[in-house]
Amino acid sequence: MILIHCPYCDEKRAEIEFAYAGEAHISRPVDPSTYGDEEWERYLFIRANPKGRHHERWRHIHGCGRFFNAVRDTVTDKFETTYKAGEPRK
Amino acid sequence: MSDLLTRAEPVPTAPFAADGVTISLAPPMARYSLRARQGQALETLLGVKVPKKIGATEGGIACLGPDEWLMRAPAGTSIPMAAGLAIAVTDVSERSICLCVEGPRAAQLIMSGCPQDLELFPVGKATRTIFETVEIILIRNSNDQFHIEVWRSFSSWLWTALTTTASH
Amino acid sequence: MSGFRLPTGGRVDRSRPVRFSFDGVSYTGFAGDTLASALLANGVMLFGRSFKYHRPRGLLAAGSEEPNALVSVDRGPGRFTPNLRATNVEVHEGLKAVSQNRWPSLKTDFGAINDRLGMFFPAGFYNKTFMWPRSFWDKLYEPAIRKIAGLGDAPTEDDPDQYAATHAHCDLLIIGAGPAGIDAALEAAGTNRRVTVIDEQDEAGGSALADPSLWQWLERSMKALNDAPNVTILTRTTAFGYYHDNFIGAVQRLTDHLPDDGDAPREKLWRIRAGEVILAQGAIERPLVFAGNDTPGVMLSSAAKTFANRYGVAVGKSVALMATHDSGWHDVFALAKAGVGIAAIIDVRDTVDADLLKQAADLRITVKLSHSVIGVSGRYGVKTIEIAHNDGTGIRSIACDALLMAGGWTPSVHLWSHSKGTLKWCDDIGAYVPDQPNENVRCVGACAGACNFGQGAVIDVLPTPMDQSRIKAFVDFQNDVTAKDIKLAVREGFRSIEHIKRYTTNGMATDQGKTSNLNGLQIASTALAKPITDIGLTTFRPPYTPQTFGALAGHAKGALFQATRTTNIDSWAEEHSAVFELVAQWRRARYFPKAGEDMHAAVNRECVAVRSSVGIFDASTLGKIEVVGPDAAEFLNRMYTNPWKALEPGRCRYGLLLKEDGFITDDGVSARLAPDRFHLTTTTGGAARVLNMMEDYLQTEWPDLNVWLTSTTEQYAVIALQGPNARKLLEPLVEGIDLSAEAFPHMAIREGAICGIPTRLFRVSFTGELGFEINVPTAYGRALWERIMAEGDRYDITPYGTETMHVLRAEKGFIIVGQDTDGTVTPYDASLDWAVGKKKLDFVGKRSLARPDIVAAGRKQLVGLLTDDPNVVLEEGAQIVADPNQPIPMKMIGHVTSSYWSATLGRSIAMALVAGGQDKMGETLHIPMPGKTHTAKISGMVFYDPQGARLNV
Repeated sequence: MILIHCPYCDEKRAEIEFAYAGEAHISRPVDPSTYGDEEWERYLFIRANPKGRHHERWRHIHGCGRFFNAVRDTVTDKFETTYKAGEPRK
Repeated sequence: MSDLLTRAEPVPTAPFAADGVTISLAPPMARYSLRARQGQALETLLGVKVPKKIGATEGGIACLGPDEWLMRAPAGTSIPMAAGLAIAVTDVSERSICLCVEGPRAAQLIMSGCPQDLELFPVGKATRTIFETVEIILIRNSNDQFHIEVWRSFSSWLWTALTTTASH
Repeated sequence: MSGFRLPTGGRVDRSRPVRFSFDGVSYTGFAGDTLASALLANGVMLFGRSFKYHRPRGLLAAGSEEPNALVSVDRGPGRFTPNLRATNVEVHEGLKAVSQNRWPSLKTDFGAINDRLGMFFPAGFYNKTFMWPRSFWDKLYEPAIRKIAGLGDAPTEDDPDQYAATHAHCDLLIIGAGPAGIDAALEAAGTNRRVTVIDEQDEAGGSALADPSLWQWLERSMKALNDAPNVTILTRTTAFGYYHDNFIGAVQRLTDHLPDDGDAPREKLWRIRAGEVILAQGAIERPLVFAGNDTPGVMLSSAAKTFANRYGVAVGKSVALMATHDSGWHDVFALAKAGVGIAAIIDVRDTVDADLLKQAADLRITVKLSHSVIGVSGRYGVKTIEIAHNDGTGIRSIACDALLMAGGWTPSVHLWSHSKGTLKWCDDIGAYVPDQPNENVRCVGACAGACNFGQGAVIDVLPTPMDQSRIKAFVDFQNDVTAKDIKLAVREGFRSIEHIKRYTTNGMATDQGKTSNLNGLQIASTALAKPITDIGLTTFRPPYTPQTFGALAGHAKGALFQATRTTNIDSWAEEHSAVFELVAQWRRARYFPKAGEDMHAAVNRECVAVRSSVGIFDASTLGKIEVVGPDAAEFLNRMYTNPWKALEPGRCRYGLLLKEDGFITDDGVSARLAPDRFHLTTTTGGAARVLNMMEDYLQTEWPDLNVWLTSTTEQYAVIALQGPNARKLLEPLVEGIDLSAEAFPHMAIREGAICGIPTRLFRVSFTGELGFEINVPTAYGRALWERIMAEGDRYDITPYGTETMHVLRAEKGFIIVGQDTDGTVTPYDASLDWAVGKKKLDFVGKRSLARPDIVAAGRKQLVGLLTDDPNVVLEEGAQIVADPNQPIPMKMIGHVTSSYWSATLGRSIAMALVAGGQDKMGETLHIPMPGKTHTAKISGMVFYDPQGARLNV
């Protein structure tokens, strides 16, 4: 069970308080109707799935309730950093 | 109708006592979920100080998240509903019950299912966390006394889990 | 049969004899004995039968690495524990242990025929032999193999024991309380760090327990640690796994060693989070590989020393040593001094330290250098050994009743490897030792490779003049893997140790190769003619030793298995004989049978009662979310398919929620209480998921909106009153709300009071009848329910459950998300076009509704189905075909999603997802079911009161 630093609570808390929420920095278009089918497909379904550094979202669901972003190494399962939603990609 | 209905609680109203710890149902209270971008807005609305740091409590108000506070007050307390303001006040008085866990073994009992390090959990801190699979809000009132807020439907499981473990 | 209790010595309490039994025979040991030491003291050498060949086996070791002496302990009904190592079972008064893997008895075992047929059971035997014919597998091979396979008997009854668990936190966790661990703890004692020391044995001390010269130091040290307020010592506690971020799982055995365990928990699972970890797990002695090395009485030299010095038990009257390492010499010297007769020291090395030779001479011990043991005679215990010079000459016999093996030392790097620390090969000791850590952890003592036990030679198989392909020289004792099995694997083309391991099963038994991995690596290395570091290393995985399911499950069984959520009204339902079902985590009343009624009869009665008078239903489990803030309507407008901004306060609307992929994920009726306040409802099972999804959009896509979401599911108990008499029943109970049709139309909400309690009263219907849903503060749910029941007596009010609710809604064609939809159904597929706001520029899922696959013809669409035989109720989930005469496999064009007997209509009704169904109205489809293929015609989904006349009253 890993420890995750919640950037809102500013505490390391146990993994069971958190929920994973998929790849980070995939923004919903302001007007989806302007997206062609392929563009929309990419937005909906295509994910990076890298080996190594992965930008992903977590939610401190049994804590402060906030979604936030994290950089985690998918090989070592170690968190490099976590940061608040809306902050630029790290 | 003139004759009022009676309450039914999901856990025994008689306290449970074991070696070094008692578990009891706190009396009904008023609870409000308070949401705003800044605590300042709530202070203006309510005319009281609210804690600004996540995890802090002040005057019965706990800061649970960057825009979330839980206010606990004597039963029947009503507050302005902030109509039209960028504030959300929601009555959650009956959503949870409060279990009072008290005694020298209180922290040890709660750590049986909760991953928080209660040896380093200061008096006055409040946080949403988890006990095994059940979400709780944990508040430390004193070294030996905790309040556990738990949604009503999960409370009978939590009561059984705590009392079973306490009797070990 | 030659072990015996030494007249003095050991840490056992000779003033406290305890009686126990093994295979039904009664024995006496002393407090402080293990089952192994106590049986050994009674002359027992035979402890079990091996896994594959059923060979007689005795003790190899004295600790948790023991591979042979697996026993079952019987503590009464449901308390039968198989596969315990006799070296770890503490004897106590009344202990009942039995041997395993034998029938009918340990001495006479029919399975031993496998040993005679050993030549037919090479590595990969099962894989090779039972390939053909294919059809024999299910009926013959597998059942037969299953019957003889397995280690010990799994208990069949429920485990009546209790198990405890806890989280724990410390700044420093020391695993292993041998000399190195104790030294580390002493260093941290008296600091302000929280220190926890855990050790798997009943007593701290580790190897010091077998060295009387250290006992005074041990006593002093343990007193200092026990007195230190910052140190916690947990004995009988095994750290079985090391996980991320210094999270260690450990099991503490609390009562198995007690004669009367009362009702205290048997074991306790510790989930420890440590700032720093020190591993002080010591090292395990390696056996040697030669013919007959599994004969009872052949054991590790260090084990013999432990039995003598810690337990006061001699492993034999005349003991020989086969050594490749100095440590065995020292062990034998200690045995000689303790009064054990020594037959000879045989060492494969040509030279050893002169001091060893001198000590041996002083003790008058025969020494044979450059020699190896090449055979052992005696099936149930060592009688003689054969030795030969390394050049194959000079074969001779030596009489002895025990043979000790000293093959060098393997640092215990198991937990280090769990933590993903790297290892490096150390030629000096012929073993892997810890290299770079991956956590805040360090190793101390022997497990760090600091084995100060002398010099040794590293050797794969002892030299022998015998034909190596004809001898059984065991490497993995528990899985019966021999040196020739590993060589065979190499000959058959396996190159990586990972493959060799899986092919031969070397190291794959419950001991995870604690005594076999290194020997297996050496043999493979020689066979492949490659350095050991080139063939890889298998991975250690948790658990370090087998743990009980009970300890891992903790109290999560029975009432505590998982929280069963109940409503405030649940207790009334239970008192009134409701039959329950689980919906998500909620327990809901399914129906309320009266005496003699089955479900069918009860549901028919309940349905008719709602349609003809009034029914009462506990709808408290519906998810509720309060949406508050100036942008509340804007937010809902973006989330739901239909428009929300124009909804007037006091009115309700059906909301349909899609995921961004365009498929229905939830629905529910929601009410606008004020311009900036909505009361949403969700499905029972969807409540948490919908709130999470809405929070996601709100927090991360539209953080500019001033609106907040609060779960209010549990704030309200909800009582649904449905039926033509609902209003008449409710009217006298309600204050401050005009219930008339004009003042309170269908799909409206009013706030007021009922029986003196504040209420949010919805006029809504999931049944097609005049209906209300009464929301009151949860604590009053049951009391209000009972008041309404009393008032409703005059209307013959009928409580109904979820089954009736399902029938009534199906009669009206209302879908249940998750039953009639499956995550691939769009609003159009479900004929919910009316709920999609055509003029809305955007909502979650809108763009996907224009994707090519979504607009393509032939999608599965939700339709009604009416069987040609009105008495046939189709099975939910039944597949649908267009032509029943087509060859198998038939093309399936859909399936039945909902199907009921409708008492109101006097016939069956069903809903189904059918490819292109909306264009097939009136067409006949075929539904193959067990026994018969039924026919049905596609219809609309509203079977009852299509005009909604019953609602608008």
